[in-house]
Amino acid sequence: MSKHPKFMVYSIDGVPHGLMQRMFDEGIMPNLANLASQTGLRQMRSIQPCVSCVAWTCFMTGKNPGKHGIYGFIDRREGGYDLAFPNQSMMTSDTLFDILSKAGKRVFSMNVPVTYPPRQVNGIQIGGFLAPNLDKIAYPASEGDYLKSINYVCDNDAALARQDKSAFCKDLMNTHERRMEAMFHYLEQEDWDFFHTHVMGSDRACHFLFGEMLDGHPEFEPAFFNYFRAVDESVGKLLTILGDDVPLMIFSDHGFCRIIHEVQLSKYLIDKGWTVPAEQPQHPLSIDPAKSKAYCLIPGRIFINLEGREPGGIVPLSEYDQVRQQIKADLLDLKDPKGNPVIDDVVMREDAYWADANGENLGTISPEESAQSGGTYGKAADLIAVPHDGYDLKLGLIAPEIFINTAMTGMHSYHDAFMVSRGVELPQDNLEIMMLARCILNTMGLPVPEDMDGEGKAITPNFDLSCYA
Amino acid sequence: MDYLDELESQSIYTIREAYHHYPELCLLWSIGKDSTTLLWLVYKAFFGKIPFPCMHIDTTYKFPEMYKFRDHWAKEFNLDLQVYTNQEAIDRGVTYDTHDSIEVCTELKTNALKQAIAKYKYKALFVGIRRDEHGIRSKERYFSPRNQKFEWNYKDQPPELWDQYKNETQEDDHIRVHPLLHWTERDIWHYIKREDIPINELYFAKDGKRYRSLGCMPITNPIDSEADTVDKIIDELENTNTSERAGRAQDKEEAHAMQKLRALGYM
Repeated sequence: MSKHPKFMVYSIDGVPHGLMQRMFDEGIMPNLANLASQTGLRQMRSIQPCVSCVAWTCFMTGKNPGKHGIYGFIDRREGGYDLAFPNQSMMTSDTLFDILSKAGKRVFSMNVPVTYPPRQVNGIQIGGFLAPNLDKIAYPASEGDYLKSINYVCDNDAALARQDKSAFCKDLMNTHERRMEAMFHYLEQEDWDFFHTHVMGSDRACHFLFGEMLDGHPEFEPAFFNYFRAVDESVGKLLTILGDDVPLMIFSDHGFCRIIHEVQLSKYLIDKGWTVPAEQPQHPLSIDPAKSKAYCLIPGRIFINLEGREPGGIVPLSEYDQVRQQIKADLLDLKDPKGNPVIDDVVMREDAYWADANGENLGTISPEESAQSGGTYGKAADLIAVPHDGYDLKLGLIAPEIFINTAMTGMHSYHDAFMVSRGVELPQDNLEIMMLARCILNTMGLPVPEDMDGEGKAITPNFDLSCYA
Repeated sequence: MDYLDELESQSIYTIREAYHHYPELCLLWSIGKDSTTLLWLVYKAFFGKIPFPCMHIDTTYKFPEMYKFRDHWAKEFNLDLQVYTNQEAIDRGVTYDTHDSIEVCTELKTNALKQAIAKYKYKALFVGIRRDEHGIRSKERYFSPRNQKFEWNYKDQPPELWDQYKNETQEDDHIRVHPLLHWTERDIWHYIKREDIPINELYFAKDGKRYRSLGCMPITNPIDSEADTVDKIIDELENTNTSERAGRAQDKEEAHAMQKLRALGYM
């Protein structure tokens, strides 16, 4: 009998629930549709801000960003107004892979966002798309040699999509084939206790082809669905290996929707007088701290340039919340050229994140106390702007216009990730990605760490978003 | 023997062993704390006379304090100092203002070193890297062969058991010798303190900032620190959990991340 893992996760980045339903109905993903016809297809919430690095870290730590410290793809580097690029070494929490390793379980993970640099797990960890090369991508490092031998591709080339979308589509298929070859190779290697493969190309396909798909573009609509046919074929092969009984989760971390405009939020903050760029901006955080009361990091994360906390802070603590409320009002006021509102809600950090074990502090600590908190929680943005679907929040410190359109036609959405699971007990309502880690540990019969979130008060509140209206 | 003596004697053993095998040898001096410590060890190994040239690969983007330090101590140590710059690339207009930092590094560091080795026909280089600096460096050996294309195949390295080093190479290759491989950042500072090794002023805090690692000016940032003496630096290192190279803004890895994020619209 062939080898198979005792718990399988196959994640498909960014596929929205609605699109998955459509692909089931249209016969594009028959294998997954067949599984879902027995188990159900559920909708799942992501996390704010809604980007893969944050969502996947919430998945694998089972915690909110206030505890794991990954708030986005770009942070401010400590000590100045320069950029830092968060990776797994800056994550301040154990992940499922670490927890399972410590419990003596054999784990395998491949391509999960923010698993670079790989940690020393009891098994193999192959990092995700920010890994610089195959020599450094894996723990143990020697796995890089196997990956090179099969021409494994860590990530498809998104830059290609801005030059030549046909070439980009070919690259998507190749990247997927290489990754699946690696997956089946490792599946055969041993009876893993926990096996997680992540598919990233789906997110790339949606970013660059979502509009084309919706509009029935003659070349790119078929190319888009062909890619998902290939993903489904891999799922079919995987299901055969797993048989009927292995606990299994197939899901995405967020949804997608069509971009109406990319929104240069830094430009808006400049227009409103909150941010003043440096004389010669070098990068998206080149601000003049002596004149800036606030600045923005992607996506929609706004920081008050607070005295005593920020290296060149100018806003006294006594004005902190007042400045936040004014910025919130300005953000809610932002309209696109047709007069449609851009920002759905603005969430304050103390209403979005918490650092205590059971979430009692969520929404209960004062703005000033929250502002002065240190540690992992203290790295959170002071305000998080949540856009209406269609308004992709960017930075644009030197952008000439607030609203632009580029080669990207799809953006992330918060409320409509999908979930297909078998043999795992999940919460009945209001499913969010942060809840999954504890369900996995429960299924595997292992204790849940006390500071893990995902139940009781330690869940993300349902913000006042129009998608629930 | 205390542990600094042990570190020292293992390094000096490696240094003498390499010198015995390779008459065409030079020491890469980046002017930072590690290669200056290495210089000091060579100085001690040969009783006050450094018997081979020292080379500085000059990107032309180093801090003024580094040039001043280089020229001063080259004289004090009576070094046979060779300064090499990839002039061809500079004439072509390769600068941090116009090119991405990976490209600048490749031209002004990697290619410059290739040209220098070809020009002076060195068979071995002393390099002051340490295992604890960077993930990939943990796989390094004391004697690390490179081929002409500078490729390092870490799977095909000679074993180094019981201090028996393999130091034969192919005709066209050169060997990198890493006498500091087993030292940590903390060891270096403890040793600097004990030996009173001259160290660049940039490492010491001024106005609440200091440099923990030195590189090219446009891509090196200071860290927040009040440590203005060696003792305070040691104290700081014992209480920090940030990485040594955190201030090296765009080392290759970050430049790579930046390129990817730009393509995905996050920059």
